[in-house]
Amino acid sequence: MSEAGRWFESDPLWFKHAVFYEIHVRGFFDGNGDGMGDLRGVTEKLDYLDWLGIDCIWLLPMYPSPLRDGGYDIADFYGIHPDYGSVEDFRAFVDAAHQRQIRVIADLVMNHTSSDHPWFQEARSSPDSPKRDWYVWSDTDDRYPDARVIFVDTEPSNWTWDPVAGQYYWHRFFSHQPDLNYENPEVQDEMLRVLRFWLDLGIDGFRLDAVPYLFEQQGTNCENLPQTHAYLRRVRAEVDANYPDRVLLAEANQWPADVVEYFGDGDECHMAFQFPIMPRMFMALRREDATPMYEILERTPSIPENCQWGLFLRNHDELTLEMVTDDERDYMYAEYAKDQRMKLNLGIRRRLAPLLDNGRDEIELMKAILFSLPGSPVLYYGDEIGMGDNVFLGDRDGVRTPMHWTGDRNGGFSSADFAQLYLPPLMDPVYGYQAVNVEAQLRTPTSLLRWIHRFVELRKQHPVFGLGTYEPLQPSNSRIFAHVRRWEEEIVLCVHNLARSAQAVELDLAQFAGLVPEEMFGQTRFPPIGELPYLLTFGARGFYWFRLVEETA
Amino acid sequence: MRTIAVQHLLCRLPEEELREFVLAQRWYGSKSEEVAHVRVVDAFPLRDQIEPLLAIAVVEVRFQSGMHALYNVPLGLRRSAEGFAEVDGWTAFDALEDAELVLELVGLIRSQASVEHEGGELRFCTVDGVAEGPEPAAVRPMGSEQSNSSVVLDEQLVLKLYRKLEAGVNPELELLRFLTERGFPAIASLEGWAAHVGQPLDATLAILQDYVPVRDDGWTLALRDLEADGNGFSPLAHRLGEVTGAMHSVLASDSTDPAFAPEEPSAEMLALTVARIDEEIEQVFGSLPEDPALEPIAGRGDELRDRLQAIGQSGSLGRLIRHHGDYHLGQVLWTEDEDWVVLDFEGEPARPLYERRHKRSPLRDVAGMLRSFSYAASASSLERGVEPPPGWEGEVRTEFLAGYLDEVDASLVPSNGTLERRLQLFELEKALYELHYELGHRPDWVRVPVAGILQLLDEPE
Repeated sequence: MSEAGRWFESDPLWFKHAVFYEIHVRGFFDGNGDGMGDLRGVTEKLDYLDWLGIDCIWLLPMYPSPLRDGGYDIADFYGIHPDYGSVEDFRAFVDAAHQRQIRVIADLVMNHTSSDHPWFQEARSSPDSPKRDWYVWSDTDDRYPDARVIFVDTEPSNWTWDPVAGQYYWHRFFSHQPDLNYENPEVQDEMLRVLRFWLDLGIDGFRLDAVPYLFEQQGTNCENLPQTHAYLRRVRAEVDANYPDRVLLAEANQWPADVVEYFGDGDECHMAFQFPIMPRMFMALRREDATPMYEILERTPSIPENCQWGLFLRNHDELTLEMVTDDERDYMYAEYAKDQRMKLNLGIRRRLAPLLDNGRDEIELMKAILFSLPGSPVLYYGDEIGMGDNVFLGDRDGVRTPMHWTGDRNGGFSSADFAQLYLPPLMDPVYGYQAVNVEAQLRTPTSLLRWIHRFVELRKQHPVFGLGTYEPLQPSNSRIFAHVRRWEEEIVLCVHNLARSAQAVELDLAQFAGLVPEEMFGQTRFPPIGELPYLLTFGARGFYWFRLVEETA
Repeated sequence: MRTIAVQHLLCRLPEEELREFVLAQRWYGSKSEEVAHVRVVDAFPLRDQIEPLLAIAVVEVRFQSGMHALYNVPLGLRRSAEGFAEVDGWTAFDALEDAELVLELVGLIRSQASVEHEGGELRFCTVDGVAEGPEPAAVRPMGSEQSNSSVVLDEQLVLKLYRKLEAGVNPELELLRFLTERGFPAIASLEGWAAHVGQPLDATLAILQDYVPVRDDGWTLALRDLEADGNGFSPLAHRLGEVTGAMHSVLASDSTDPAFAPEEPSAEMLALTVARIDEEIEQVFGSLPEDPALEPIAGRGDELRDRLQAIGQSGSLGRLIRHHGDYHLGQVLWTEDEDWVVLDFEGEPARPLYERRHKRSPLRDVAGMLRSFSYAASASSLERGVEPPPGWEGEVRTEFLAGYLDEVDASLVPSNGTLERRLQLFELEKALYELHYELGHRPDWVRVPVAGILQLLDEPE
């Protein structure tokens, strides 16, 4: 960029007050009638997403892939999976999104490739192959013994014997996903080329999948190594130098103290997911006790000014229980995965609505808590209408079924024959597409979809939610989750009742004496705050968000 | 001749004087924001050897909030004489106030000049096939503008500057160029324009178009008609309908130009529009103040939402096209040639540029004009104490619509059965916007949108 470029800036911190929306291209909308969602289909639904008010679309991997891991097994970093369209379709999609001021980020798996990737095929073919050193090989399967196995349900070891290569290769995930060897500078350079390729096409950033595992080192658990951070800083420097306004979002399913390392000094990733808060929200709801949330938020270190947490309730993976204690995990399984089929690895493969027994109050409460926390919320496609899941489908397919657009054939997802669909849409009487779909909910002013739309709009009107402080109030009634957000002149008080029963709480708001709480949805004024504890009462699973305003205002 | 480093000079203009100059301009649009600083961040030299020097300065106004706005400010520099600021013995002044420099700008457009500049380019262009007139001599400001500045040359041409820099093509340039190239007569044709392309942004800076000698604008004519006996405007309304229909047809006529090719609305478009309006009703009616003027509709929000469901029911939305975007009686002129000319293709100025370039149903323009008839009828009694003759608005509407449907490409609008409902939908949307606006700005006028909403409520289904 030229000198002159510096005076034109759009919004370098846009991601701090954005609402993200995660899309599984295969499951969103079928634009060509072949039974599978595609990029043309997503483009056709941009008006819907524009209305919903989201700021940024996050696409699950859309690259050529044998799809043994939902596309996280990439076989070509420079292409689009033929099921989804072409690179031209991708460019057209990004342009159409940008015309609506919607940004687009996409998943990028830097850690490994598919075993089908030509690089791996070349590497295994001969020890002398120039690509051999692009992967991690060993004559024995006992190196790096301290590295845990992540996919415990399917993988006995991080090493797999390759009869063609005559050596073991290293993989932190499925055995068909060999890890790239980041010790090799060629691999480092190549991955930067990949980033530039997509950035040049106009993409607004990446969700970097599985970043903690890029490097390996004997005597460590091979996670979060300093070399990994050094490489991420290099990636960031490249982005900052040539591609303003883009974002790197780290997927590092780690404890908060380790995750914050991925922000560096504001010179690594712009964003990282706040993983540990999520299971604790579900736990708090079941136990009707806010303590687990207060605790994890207290243990979450502060992050650099130019960074942000990504918050979510559910996503395309299982509800991960890696970042909880064994006791907590047992509790979660007992409460949320009563059927063995609902468990997967260390997690629960269910969507939001079924997890909450389709309770409207519970869904609203959980969304409210999520939206009230410091960070940018990520919605998972279908959760805005309360879609269900199908636990009889394998792996994580149960939460990746086709989006329900209408009550018509195939839920309006595709004009193909039913038998041609990549997965059957839900058809049960509670969550099936005839009961739960966009068309019907758009028409019904009281629907979940319309509620979420208003909610997104409200959040976006108040940058305090993205930019403000988090100040827990921790009242004596532990069923109440109450905290204050503050940014510039705006003070917001968020109070949530986790209990199934009506509750009262006395909040110590003396520091705000003289201010008046104004409920944010209806702009109703409550009695002014005095020196005495402030009494609030709630219906079951109720919540209030207040702006604290001057009495005269 | 010696070349003067104009850019260097302008970037060092003393801040205080620059600030005073900028903040006093009509086009300066952020009057309520607290300003942190004002500076020239860049300047494109256009004349750097002959005095007065000329450059387009990019002025940044940075606000306390951290946001900023950029303005397109052509400045002249001369050794002596009056100006608003001094630097190294040069005095800076507003180039639009200097006939010689205005003519220089016109000359640059006509000669299709191009100025390379640090990764970007200032490009002056002319419309293909448009013959240029003689070199103008007299220059006068047009006056009465807000966000733009225009000067009239020899009563033949208008040079219009877009002051606020926004990334992207200005819709006015886009639409005027498209309509001019296709020979649509009812506009002030485009002769040329100036734009910045490349880094750091693509932006339209100015257009050069015909000056149309005017008798009156549509608003004045309608009010005058109402003051007289109220039967002279109907034929004009009919003609206005024809012109509007023809304009939409031309705008939808090129399916090879992606910026203009008509599009089918997405499957959810109608439902999304209805949902949006439904929420507007909820909001506006949720906080209606006590006001006798509001009485006819007070407490009837739910009824209106039911009515909305009825008029928003399934059926076609027609096709989506580029259109005027801010269409009302004030935007159309009755010329000395006794015909209408459509002005101001910028769209709703409060909306961001990308939104103003969206394709939408052309019925939004139609609804805008229909609401404008309603405003004219009310203005007559509110401002001049003249009650509109009974049936005036109804007749004008009918004539306008008849003319419109005669001329518009039928594939663009829904067929007869649905058309009325869609018009009601867009009129309701407009009336809600008006209600919201008038409540905040002109309480006396609240009755105009109230009457519009009431009409819809009381209409037999």
